[in-house]
Amino acid sequence: MDLLQGTLDLLVLQTLASGRAHGHAIAQSIEQRSREILQVGHGSLYPALQRLLRQGLILAEDGQSDNNRRARFYRLTPRGRRQLSLEASKWQQFSTAIGYILAPPADETN
Amino acid sequence: MTWWKRRSDRLDDEIQKHIEFEIEQNVAAGMSAAEARSAALKKFGNVSLAKEESREIWGWLWLERLWQDVVYGLRGLAHSPGFTVVALLSLMLGIGASTALFSVVYGVLIAPYPYQKPNEIWAPAIVSPKEPSNGWRQYPRREFPAIQKLPGVATAMATTYEPTLLTGDGSPESFYGVLVTGNAFEFLGVKPLVGRTIQPFDVRPDGTPEPVVVLNYQFWQRIFNGDADAIGKKLILNDVPRTVVGVMPPRFGWFTDDSFWMPMSVDLTDETPLNVIVRLQPGVSKEVVEQQLQGLNLRLAAEKPQDFPKGGFRTSLLNYMDITVASGAMKSSLHLLLVAVGFLLLIACVNVANLQLARTTARAREIAVRLSVGASRPRLVRQLLTESVLLSVLGGALGVLFAIAATRAIAALMPDFYKPNEARITMNIYVLLFSLGVSLLTGILFGLTPALRCSRPDLAGTLKDGGRGSVGSAGGQKVRGWLVAAEVALSVILLAGASLAIRSFSQLTRIDPGFQPQKTLMVNVPLPPKRYATLERRNRFARSLLEGVSVLPGVEAAALGNGGMPFGGPRSAYSIDGQLRKEDGRIVVGFISNDYPRTLGIPLKRGRTLTAEEVADGTHVALINQTAAKLWSRGENPLGRRIRLDLLNKPGGSQLLIPAGSTSDITVVGILGDTTNAGLREATLPAVYVPYTLLAPPTRVLAVRTFGDPLSVLNAVRQKLRDLDKDQPLARPITLEQILGFQTVQPRFNMALFSCFAALGLALAAIGIYSVISYGVAQRMHEIGVRMALGARRGDVLVIVLRMVAKVAAVGLAIGLCGSIALERVVRFQVFAAASFDFAALAGVVLVLSVVALLAAWLPARRAAGLDPVTALRHEA
Repeated sequence: MDLLQGTLDLLVLQTLASGRAHGHAIAQSIEQRSREILQVGHGSLYPALQRLLRQGLILAEDGQSDNNRRARFYRLTPRGRRQLSLEASKWQQFSTAIGYILAPPADETN
Repeated sequence: MTWWKRRSDRLDDEIQKHIEFEIEQNVAAGMSAAEARSAALKKFGNVSLAKEESREIWGWLWLERLWQDVVYGLRGLAHSPGFTVVALLSLMLGIGASTALFSVVYGVLIAPYPYQKPNEIWAPAIVSPKEPSNGWRQYPRREFPAIQKLPGVATAMATTYEPTLLTGDGSPESFYGVLVTGNAFEFLGVKPLVGRTIQPFDVRPDGTPEPVVVLNYQFWQRIFNGDADAIGKKLILNDVPRTVVGVMPPRFGWFTDDSFWMPMSVDLTDETPLNVIVRLQPGVSKEVVEQQLQGLNLRLAAEKPQDFPKGGFRTSLLNYMDITVASGAMKSSLHLLLVAVGFLLLIACVNVANLQLARTTARAREIAVRLSVGASRPRLVRQLLTESVLLSVLGGALGVLFAIAATRAIAALMPDFYKPNEARITMNIYVLLFSLGVSLLTGILFGLTPALRCSRPDLAGTLKDGGRGSVGSAGGQKVRGWLVAAEVALSVILLAGASLAIRSFSQLTRIDPGFQPQKTLMVNVPLPPKRYATLERRNRFARSLLEGVSVLPGVEAAALGNGGMPFGGPRSAYSIDGQLRKEDGRIVVGFISNDYPRTLGIPLKRGRTLTAEEVADGTHVALINQTAAKLWSRGENPLGRRIRLDLLNKPGGSQLLIPAGSTSDITVVGILGDTTNAGLREATLPAVYVPYTLLAPPTRVLAVRTFGDPLSVLNAVRQKLRDLDKDQPLARPITLEQILGFQTVQPRFNMALFSCFAALGLALAAIGIYSVISYGVAQRMHEIGVRMALGARRGDVLVIVLRMVAKVAAVGLAIGLCGSIALERVVRFQVFAAASFDFAALAGVVLVLSVVALLAAWLPARRAAGLDPVTALRHEA
């Protein structure tokens, strides 16, 4: 299943909410946490990361990966955290609304 | 861009790692290496697209914001076209004028020479308390080795002129050839364009020079059409074939800009005066070498006391940078103009400051609104900054265009002989950057500070206030008032300076030179000294020429002369019968033919003029001018009295020939009217005129008074010369009016530039007044409405507005007048010869400024007076 336009940024922010991660780990995490439903083209992750960096929502730093290799890590800035909660609640509302519309009306099932 | 590259490399590396991680994971999950790799790549997708999109984001976001700011800024500027035009105009004039003038100063004063380290070249001079500086001291050729050997002197070089006749294929032409010592080009450190320069080996061990010549660029272009084949060709110079060994680059004009350089002989018996320059030994101070030169000078003074000031002297070294042709009057007037143009730049900056201040204060409400709806402060500041920078950059661009045009105009206006022939006047990039920087800073400082102040938290106050004049903006109005007063003061000073320059010029043009400059042609007749080696030959040639020219059609009168043609001339020590000899007294000597007074139009005051026979025979009779007549005591009649001129039997210099057994006594037979013989601005010097046959220099000046256009007889005169000697050219034809014109070009230059700067300054100040008053009116609109509602009439409103102007203008005028008077004391003696302020000039300045101030305030005042009270009361912001 492909991602909806603009949702990748939100997913990246959400992934980073639990701590810093490098690009590959972010991609992995999104796939796993969406129960493999969402297929992130790993390549599209990088423009998204650059966009978030530019907007000051995340920061990049060099660090050591689990298998002791040098990699570039990303983490949330305070603004990124704010943005995440804002966007997340918007999504919540949005998906609830969509859910209401798509769900069969209760009186009809009765 | 390295940071861009670094970032790009880092992204590549990151993506590379990403894929590696994926491959490792796949391998760990049990795939083969090849499968793992292709699966990883498939999962990642298009690698280069990912990179490209990432990079696009870097550039795009950055550019997009800038673009937004620029568009917003441009829209803002377009929204208030009045502000924009005025600010741009101010910047253009300020930046352009200062850059242009400084470029000229840089070209002619700061970097006039192409020589190596010209500021380390020194020229000896003699200073005596009685005779003010004699300038660059010349030394006889035989003394040159002695100067070279002074312990503090690292190297010395010497230069002299020689009238040189070029003969051969083309028509004969005369030049001033330049003779230099063998080390000259090494000393100056300039490389040739083609071939080689003169070298020490061009002077043989016995002191005689090799027959070689190095060409000036102009000469090479003209005679050889710039052909490199010129090297090795022969030129017949003063009957000697010389081999061309090199050509100098266009920007090299040591002592000539149209001839050539030849090696000078080393001759320990030669008395020819040389111009000597030295470079000092490293670590040796100028004072030490001055002492050493003083020793040499004292010895020379013991040998030839007449060549040195009588009351003692000391030796000083002049830096070569200080003896350019642009030094002296031109230097001080350029410095003064630099100050003037600095004022202009200041006025322009004040204007921009003022406009920015008024504008940002007026936008306080807009800024507050934007902040309150959530604009971030840094973003707002960046926007305002972009706008200021945008304005300055646009103004700067216009300034560059203006500077290019103005540099050309000033350079064209500047008299040629004040420009060192090696100077290159081009727009100076550093100055341009400087004035751009200054105006940029002004714009930012005054555009941003008020913006920052009003972006502070008290939004509610600003919003409620509606820009109707809170405490803060009243303060702003005060600052603006002072700024305008400063502008007015600066323009008063500029106007006062301009009035001085104009007065100085008009005084000069009203001076009666004492002769009639109209319809008179002057030409030089340079005889090759070796062809005309005797006094008799030179005099015979002169006489035949004079007789031939006098009878040409269209010629009223003709005269030969050296000295008094019409300025300058040799000066001689003298003594008058029956008087004590004044040791340091000097008199100008003119060697003339009988028609000299008629040709130059100088009236005879007493006695008679010289007769043709007296001149031909070389009788010892003389005319004197009125100033010289005062050398005799009051009541004494100089006519028939004798005066002794040392020059007549001791002319000095091997080129000046005198009759055998010539005595120095001479009898006065007539008194001529005074002429301004030392230049228009100088006092007349005592002068004595004697028959030209008493002294024969190689070159004489021929003056021809004509009935019609003086230049129309030029060809006939040239032909007359050819008839007498087919190889004899004439040099430097010019009219007497042109010579007189040279005397006024420099004051004219001052006047033109000063008036120009003053007019610009005045215009800028007027704009400043206008902007501040109209802003003040807008600010007080509500108040004016209230007053009108309470019964104030149009006249009352006019008075309110005019009072605002009067306050500002009066303060500015007062400061400006004090400043002008203080400055005038400083500059009067340096630049504007005799002119000084008078009441009329200052009153004129005050009047001009008041009228301009009133005019500038008239529009806003009328607008205020024409207001409908209801509209005014409703007016917000």
